[in-house]
Amino acid sequence: MTLEVVDLTHRYGDELVLEDISFEVETGEIIGLLGPSGCGKTTTVQAIAGHVNPTAGRIHLRGEDITADPPERRDIGVVFQEPTLFPHMTVGENVAYGLRPAGFDPDERAATVDRYLELVSLSEQREAMPAALSGGQKRRVELARALAPQPDVLLLDEPLSALDRGLRDQLREEIARIQRETGVTTLYVTHDQETAMALSDRLVVMADGAIAGVGEPRKLYESPSTPFVASFLGRSTRLPLTPPGDPGLTLESRALAGDGGTPADTGRICLARPSNLTLLDSEQPKAEYTLAGVVERVTDLGTRYEVVLTLDAGGKLTVETQRVQLESGDRARCTIDGTDLLLFEELPERVGPVY
Amino acid sequence: MSTHTRTTWIARSTLLVPALLGGLLLVYVAVPFVAFLARTGTADVLARLAEPQAQVAVRNSLLTATTSTIVATVLGVPLAYVLARRSFPGKRLLEGLIILPLVLPPVVAGAMLLTAFGRFTPIGSIAYAVGIELTGSFIGIVLAQTFVAAPFVVVTARAGFGAIDDRLERASRSLGYSALGTFRHVALPLARGAILAGVTLTFARAMGEFGATYMVASNPRTMPTRIWVDFINGGIDAVVPVGLALLAVTLAVLAVVQRVGRVPTVIER
Repeated sequence: MTLEVVDLTHRYGDELVLEDISFEVETGEIIGLLGPSGCGKTTTVQAIAGHVNPTAGRIHLRGEDITADPPERRDIGVVFQEPTLFPHMTVGENVAYGLRPAGFDPDERAATVDRYLELVSLSEQREAMPAALSGGQKRRVELARALAPQPDVLLLDEPLSALDRGLRDQLREEIARIQRETGVTTLYVTHDQETAMALSDRLVVMADGAIAGVGEPRKLYESPSTPFVASFLGRSTRLPLTPPGDPGLTLESRALAGDGGTPADTGRICLARPSNLTLLDSEQPKAEYTLAGVVERVTDLGTRYEVVLTLDAGGKLTVETQRVQLESGDRARCTIDGTDLLLFEELPERVGPVY
Repeated sequence: MSTHTRTTWIARSTLLVPALLGGLLLVYVAVPFVAFLARTGTADVLARLAEPQAQVAVRNSLLTATTSTIVATVLGVPLAYVLARRSFPGKRLLEGLIILPLVLPPVVAGAMLLTAFGRFTPIGSIAYAVGIELTGSFIGIVLAQTFVAAPFVVVTARAGFGAIDDRLERASRSLGYSALGTFRHVALPLARGAILAGVTLTFARAMGEFGATYMVASNPRTMPTRIWVDFINGGIDAVVPVGLALLAVTLAVLAVVQRVGRVPTVIER
């Protein structure tokens, strides 16, 4: 394995920003480090790059402890959130910048610059100054500059968050292609779950300075490790749980019966994907398991509708649907396949809010 | 149309008072220049400048001001970098200390230098014992000029370094350069304009330094001390030639500062 982060903990003064972060990045893998703003992602990558000195914990690169090494001795390439091209050098000089310390001969340097500018399709801009480039071109030059010295690990810290959507999607494809072609071990930091799911071999989800879940994107989406992951990776809506025998909430007893026969009661959280909930027509025979309530509002999102129900049993529920004849104030029922329920023990929470 | 005229008239009239006051100041600043230059016809400038005494003063000034500027730059630019990049307890105190010579009357600065480095002070006597005179010598002039002029390069270079996004330096570190290499390849070239402006201002201040220099080392003569002596002995017309030479240096410095002296806006967004 290339990169190993062990029990990384960091404080800014009294504020604990990272607590016992541990994860591994295998050689050639692209890991998405995903979490909301302020969850500690950037501090984590800065600690890996050596620009932040962590309060505790170790960082291993190819089996060596590099925690105490300065950034220049780490062989870690970094692309920052904001553009950091050197404004007093041409594009070519920027890309060549890291080659001399990395031990490239002068002849090798020119050829390497050519190769990496070609990789990001910017050979024409070799003599241009950074100020003359567009936002997307700057990002590509930075990518070439970070990759040219052939680092052991490439850290991408929200490299696309400052770009508009079209450009972002296009560059995301390009990053995926470049990563495939170079095979560089990559840690991609983002708060955008779509980008993270699309790019990553595996995801590390962070919340409030701690890790909330690690796994392959699809697996983590289908069986989230915590309520936070369920709500951050895709959407989720919370189903009320009441003691068994409560009329009208047969759903829970069924779901929980399928879950090893434990009786439904407090101490558990039950979530569902809004897209897995189905609204029932009033003419339909009473389904086996239903949740009944009053429609609070119906929102047309273009590709789908979103219906918010105020449940008789208390709480609110969001249902996604393709067609809807309901209006706010109508009574409605919905159902869900028991296997689609996401059940969590209500642990002493350390990962922050559920929603 | 009439409302347009009216608005213009109001806009004009609102600026009338500040324009009048400001104009008065401009005239006041310009008049001495004109009057002084008008005197040049009455004095034989070139002949007077060719006299040995004037030549020595010009040479001494160029020599000492250059030395002071080099000392101030070599020590001041690193200080400026530290002040721009690090925060530490007592930093504000240091920042106050470094600009103190800018507001301190030079004569007082000279008196303070004498109390610290005078012939009969501990430092002065030790230096004298090994054959170095800290007052009444070239070294004394350089001490006075450096004390008074060094803050210019520190303050200006600090502003230049401060304008550089420190992420550029982090990028450089991650690309394999040490802190020193990063300073040389990123910080120094990007702050070049600001540093040059600071160096030029320091040189100009050192060339023109009179009060502290006169206290610490009235001999050997520099251009300002020569002007004073000429004035005492020969009145205002005697001052014109060397005065003009100093004015010429000042104008050249101003031209250089206007040319290079913008603090660079380093990161384009």
